[in-house]
Amino acid sequence: MSENTIGKKSLDWVDKRFPIIDLFERHLSKYYSPSNINIWYLFGFLLLIVLVMQILTGLWLMMNYTNTAEGAFTSIEYIMRDVDYGWLIRYMHAGGASAFFALIYLHMFRGMMYGSYQKPRELIWVGGWFVYVLLCAEGFTGYVLPWGQMSFWAAQVIISLVGSIPFFGEDLAIWIRGDYIVSGITLSRLFAFHVVLLPILIIAVVFFHILALHEIGSNNPDGIDVKKHTDQDGVPLDAKPFFPYDITHDFYALGVFLLIFCTVIFFFPEGGGYIIEYVNYEPANPLSTPAHIVPSWYYTPFYAMLRAIDFPLFGLTAKFLGFVVMAAGIAIFAALPWLDRSPVKSIKYKGIYSKVFLAGFVISFFVLAYLGSVPPTETKNMLAKVFTFLYFAYFLLMPFYTRVEKCKPVPERVGDSV
Amino acid sequence: MKTLFYFIFILSSSLIFSAGEYRCGLIECDKFEADVSDKASLQRGLSTYMNYCYGCHSLKYSRYKRVAEDLLIPLEMYENNLIFDDSKIGDLMEISLTKDDAINWLGAYPPDLTLEARLRRPDWIYTYLRNYYPDSSRPYGVNNKVYQNVNMPHVLEDMQNTISISQYDQVIYDLTNFMTYVADPSAEQRKRIGTYVLLFLIIFTAFAYMTYKEFKKDLK
Repeated sequence: MSENTIGKKSLDWVDKRFPIIDLFERHLSKYYSPSNINIWYLFGFLLLIVLVMQILTGLWLMMNYTNTAEGAFTSIEYIMRDVDYGWLIRYMHAGGASAFFALIYLHMFRGMMYGSYQKPRELIWVGGWFVYVLLCAEGFTGYVLPWGQMSFWAAQVIISLVGSIPFFGEDLAIWIRGDYIVSGITLSRLFAFHVVLLPILIIAVVFFHILALHEIGSNNPDGIDVKKHTDQDGVPLDAKPFFPYDITHDFYALGVFLLIFCTVIFFFPEGGGYIIEYVNYEPANPLSTPAHIVPSWYYTPFYAMLRAIDFPLFGLTAKFLGFVVMAAGIAIFAALPWLDRSPVKSIKYKGIYSKVFLAGFVISFFVLAYLGSVPPTETKNMLAKVFTFLYFAYFLLMPFYTRVEKCKPVPERVGDSV
Repeated sequence: MKTLFYFIFILSSSLIFSAGEYRCGLIECDKFEADVSDKASLQRGLSTYMNYCYGCHSLKYSRYKRVAEDLLIPLEMYENNLIFDDSKIGDLMEISLTKDDAINWLGAYPPDLTLEARLRRPDWIYTYLRNYYPDSSRPYGVNNKVYQNVNMPHVLEDMQNTISISQYDQVIYDLTNFMTYVADPSAEQRKRIGTYVLLFLIIFTAFAYMTYKEFKKDLK
């Protein structure tokens, strides 16, 4: 190709004014990722795609949504029936929320399995954790907007938790609701958070998360530091450029993900009541409480923890303690980099205790998810207590079991045997 | 380790997805499989709905015109026979019964039923409408096995008494089928588009896979 094509000239013109080539190289073509990363490393890219999809579908939903108690429910049905392809946009957004959580849980689990939170990636992990917290808030505020029965009563239950805080809780709950019960005032402020404040924060923290990642680079399933061995140009030997090698892998993964996602939204848009709950097809009615209030599936592990604490302690109410345990269940992820004292990163080389406790964590997460989605019984409540304990044991005992267990030696380079 | 994780994952997901079970009041729900592509059934269901249910139960999120078009009923025929007030064909299917009158006459305001098939599921409606039984302790002399002490009278009683059980089942099937359609009118379009989308994605994924493989060769 000749040196003086229009394309080249325009690129030069832009590059003199904005470092476009430098950015492309730094973050794509000369950004190196370990050669041994596996399918667990695809979820970050998919999460970014889902984030973009949620922003775009949300934008279109907002064009026809009415954020008042009188109009919200009707406007959703207006979108579903009278807006061209409104049903598609709404199913993409509702299904996208579930996909977002499914992917973020897999993404977080990858980090836990391979010790990606360990030094020097603490800030990447904490940033990612903060995205997760913001996403929980985003999911909750979005869930209220259709203003169906479950929207209303879930909001009522969750906001009333704030009311359990001693001394000023009740005043705080009224301040959050803007009313004595959840009402149109609450709806419109949650709408404002959902479409303006939280998305801006999520985008900002995701930006931080990726920037921090690109400074240090990806961890890998062996937990080897691939930057230790480089060629004479400083290029890591056990690594490959993100562009084109990872991006082509990511696009293949995107195809597989979209096949699953589109099968769900086109053929099972309610996801058996897990993506859109059946009860939410009844408009919000403050005078009639549904028999069984459940949060979305992605919050059920934490909901089970909340219900597991059914006893008062030290003069604090059971409700408040449950709230604290639930919040701690989410917050404790942020402490992982400082709880793990293991000399190795990956579960492959960690000792038996780490493996057992991680397996215990996964089991308790799924069992709690189940327990949080069904009406409580005495046995189920007992189980919820046991598995809440097991869940926290993974985190709180980590400083001990990671120190005493015997780890396997980590190879010096990818593919080396020890 | 890996196998253990997959085992846990499958075990726990089966636990979770078996969680959503529900029952029809005192009895098991009868099996109901909707077929919203059967336009004749939907038309019969619409006619039953308009003649027996629509006096009290609106379909206020739906529009006459949409129903007419989706059910292949000529607009003029629809306007002449299935709109009972001065509504226009593009209007929402609202009823003239006022809330105050309803509470005065019936003790409660009959709910809108546009989304009933999504709220309670079609098999619930199908079972409910076929399980009224005589009960002299109730104001209308009937009760229901699916919805105990329901306020609604057995509106289809006269019809049920004049036709055979299988004919009545067919009437209820058509009615439930129509209610399934009206709760989710885009279902057919959705599945049609969905098929094309999946076909496209299979091709996209195949090419993405080949590109990935091609680049992967460099790395060996």
